[in-house]
Amino acid sequence: MLWVDKYRPKTLDKIIVHEDVAQNLKKLVTEQDCPHLLFYGPSGSGKKTLIMALLRQMFGPGAEKVKVENKTWKVDAGTRTIDLELTTLSSTHHVELNPSDAGFQDRYIVQEIIKEMAKNRPIDTKGKKGFKVLVLNEVDKLSREAQHSLRRTMEKYSASCRLILCCNSSSKVTEAVRSRCLNVRINAPTEGQIVKVLEFVGKKEGLQLPSGFAARIAEKSNRSLRRAILSLETCRVQQYPFSNNQAIPPMDWEEYIFEIASDIMKEQSPKRLFQVRGKVYELLINCIPPEIILKRLLFELLKKLDAELKHEVCHWAAYYEHRMRLGQKAIFHIEAFVAKFMSIYKGFLIATFG
Amino acid sequence: MSLIQCCLVPVDERFAATRVMLDEEDEFFSLKSNFSHSKLKTRPSSVPRAEIRKAKKARLTNSCTRSCKESSGFDEIKRFCEDFNEGFTGFKIPAGCERSNKDLWVDKYAPYSLEELAVHKKKVEEVKVWFEERLRNTREEFCNHVLLISGQAGVGKSATVRMIASHLGATIFEWNMPTPTIWQEHLHNSNSGIRYTSKLDEFENFVERIRKYGMIPSTITGGSQTSIIFLIDDLPLTLQTTTHVPGTELQLSLQSAGACKVAFNPITVNSIKKVLSKICREEQCKVTADQIDLIAKASGGDIRQAITSFQYFCLKSRPILSLSFSNGTPTYSKERSHELNRLDDGFSFPFGRDETLSLFHALGKFLHNKRETENSFALDKDAFVLKERFARLPLKMDAPEKVLCLAHGQARPIADFLHENVLDFVSEEAIDDASVVASYLSDADFLLASLSGILTRNYEAENVVQSAAASVAVRGVLFGNFHPSPSRWHAIRRPKLWQVEQSLWHNKLEMVNQSCVAYNGVSLSNLSVIATENKPVLKWLGFRVSEGLEAPQVLMQGNVVEDKNFDSMSLDKKDNDTSDDEIEDW
Repeated sequence: MLWVDKYRPKTLDKIIVHEDVAQNLKKLVTEQDCPHLLFYGPSGSGKKTLIMALLRQMFGPGAEKVKVENKTWKVDAGTRTIDLELTTLSSTHHVELNPSDAGFQDRYIVQEIIKEMAKNRPIDTKGKKGFKVLVLNEVDKLSREAQHSLRRTMEKYSASCRLILCCNSSSKVTEAVRSRCLNVRINAPTEGQIVKVLEFVGKKEGLQLPSGFAARIAEKSNRSLRRAILSLETCRVQQYPFSNNQAIPPMDWEEYIFEIASDIMKEQSPKRLFQVRGKVYELLINCIPPEIILKRLLFELLKKLDAELKHEVCHWAAYYEHRMRLGQKAIFHIEAFVAKFMSIYKGFLIATFG
Repeated sequence: MSLIQCCLVPVDERFAATRVMLDEEDEFFSLKSNFSHSKLKTRPSSVPRAEIRKAKKARLTNSCTRSCKESSGFDEIKRFCEDFNEGFTGFKIPAGCERSNKDLWVDKYAPYSLEELAVHKKKVEEVKVWFEERLRNTREEFCNHVLLISGQAGVGKSATVRMIASHLGATIFEWNMPTPTIWQEHLHNSNSGIRYTSKLDEFENFVERIRKYGMIPSTITGGSQTSIIFLIDDLPLTLQTTTHVPGTELQLSLQSAGACKVAFNPITVNSIKKVLSKICREEQCKVTADQIDLIAKASGGDIRQAITSFQYFCLKSRPILSLSFSNGTPTYSKERSHELNRLDDGFSFPFGRDETLSLFHALGKFLHNKRETENSFALDKDAFVLKERFARLPLKMDAPEKVLCLAHGQARPIADFLHENVLDFVSEEAIDDASVVASYLSDADFLLASLSGILTRNYEAENVVQSAAASVAVRGVLFGNFHPSPSRWHAIRRPKLWQVEQSLWHNKLEMVNQSCVAYNGVSLSNLSVIATENKPVLKWLGFRVSEGLEAPQVLMQGNVVEDKNFDSMSLDKKDNDTSDDEIEDW
């Protein structure tokens, strides 16, 4: 088991990083009925950890007895029925799913599942009608239609069902949905907090962490706690005892993008563009999201770039990132950005060095 | 008695179905060379040697079905004899077709001598020499008695062989493909108790029969050494089996087995014109030379089609559309494109083949980006003057949209193909051009995506957007590629993107199945998190959580190798499809 999972706090009391949030949530759940919740914040900040701990707080250890189901939903969409296959994870008290896996038919999924959950709601010990919790991941990737239907169902079934939404950016969640939820912002942990966690993990594993080493990992982690713990584990495998100047291995795809960036800087020609395309294909095949590829590529390119070009390059990156989200095939847009960059950079080189 | 076998094989390169099994074919060769005396089956299929395709086909199917239904031996033999009698009364006039024949000018003015053939003299000579050699010499000297004639429809392949045969006094036995039995038909037949015989068996029977009985008339007529020519039409269809071997491969394997190959070119406009004028004289139609010229050009080298449309044209005594030729146009290429344009515009013409382009042909046009060397519109003062960097020379082709229409190109595949291939055609220095092209392709993709995913589809709007996207992609490529790389042979690749998408989809599915492995299985996690963080670390740590994880975890290098194999496998055929000269030709 990875350390990330091994040392993930199970209860709200054990949470180190967002202690205040955890305590507030605990109070919220114990003292009164829980509203719909919307957790948002960058990746690796502990949203899911909080949600899981919260579920445990609400339902006790029963929330951890889950089963994974790959269920086919038959959805009646007006004139025809659609079969949707979706992986869900459910306990007696909650259901969790990634509705965006359903692609553009996500709105049916949301409605259908909530309806079904509302039908068989559990009865708790006091004979009161209890509620079930539906955890929806990646709400920001839901289509607009799906979010609209989510709004309706939230109102209609609010008696029997609570929603916990989880996303990276709340700006992509419609205003209507946001206003119906208690918004909980989970900000990225500071480097100090990350160091604290790393030291905690180190102590549990019985590792000697040289001073400053944890800080270096924290610095490299881009304020993602998950990333930091994963790095710690890879370092442990790479070399132990740790030395202070030990290199922290980057992710393979990051290295790959670094290579692409240096390829681009070295030569600007259609042939090179073609090679870059091949490399981007490989990243895509390995399921690296195209947005992340583009972002990382820009990041790597900017590091090597003259200040006067940075503005323009950023502009085009933003332009093609937008295009990519609107468009269908990411490679067209990533390539367009690379070509644009090559063109700008070559022009710049010629202008400067003749 | 010398026995000449010749297979005339009009492998119709465009339209022929292309399923042939090689093994079967070898068998088929040995069958001919060994002449094993197997038992003669008296099951008749027709011994066809009719002349017009339509008529013979009708008759053939007729006799086939009849022969299946009736099984009385007498009838069989009777028909068998009939067929033979027909065969010996001269190969031109099968009974029953006579009347209708004369209505069709194609048959009425079919060539009666070698001189009349519209085929190029040299080709005729080539075929004739081949026949003569084999007639003169004994069988032992020439082991290959197979001549393979290829060429598009209506270039006079069959006519040439018939003419030569009659010139040399040889008898032709023509094998026509019986209509294939479809499965439902087969079921129906077997229910009604009719036995199915494979087409290959039928063919063997045919050969066997000719061998045994073909000689009889020659002995009757006094022992003159009549040679026999087998004419096998539509070879790929004849040997239709389940294994996939393309028609070109069939040709190759035939050649490697020792067949002599003669390729017929489309008939030249002048030859067609000559034939048409002759018909015109004999029929006394009032048709001007220009009109004949136009019909000849519209036929695309297919003389059968030219004559038919000519007849149709004369039938309708309506005046042809304005036909005056501008004699002032200087270059041939211009004149030609000019005329072609007019033909294309003239959908109102009552004749002419519907020209279609293959997708690859169209792609080749777009990618090679052939342009005139000088701008003829430059002198036009009223014309909107563009800045120099936006100005392009006129295209050496029709409007891109028209080409797309001819090629039946759909926006998505067109964009994918262009995207895959365009960089090869951009000059090595011109990254700016590449960037322009890429940005247009990005626009096209954006247009294509804008309507997908909406469930209540508006097909009309979608159509418009689709064609707009295709137009943007194509014109973007044409405009952006300002400095095309010097023309050389490029293979057009299949978009790798498709394959990438497939493996991406596959990997994603695997990942969805694993998505609960993280978080100790108590929660689902994002795909992107798994892909970007968990998987690389797991790979790094070198331990696998489960077997399921291993499968999609193909290393990057692994993927590449796999891809390459995949590509070369599936691309072989398509690569052949597009060659430079094909494009130049146009």
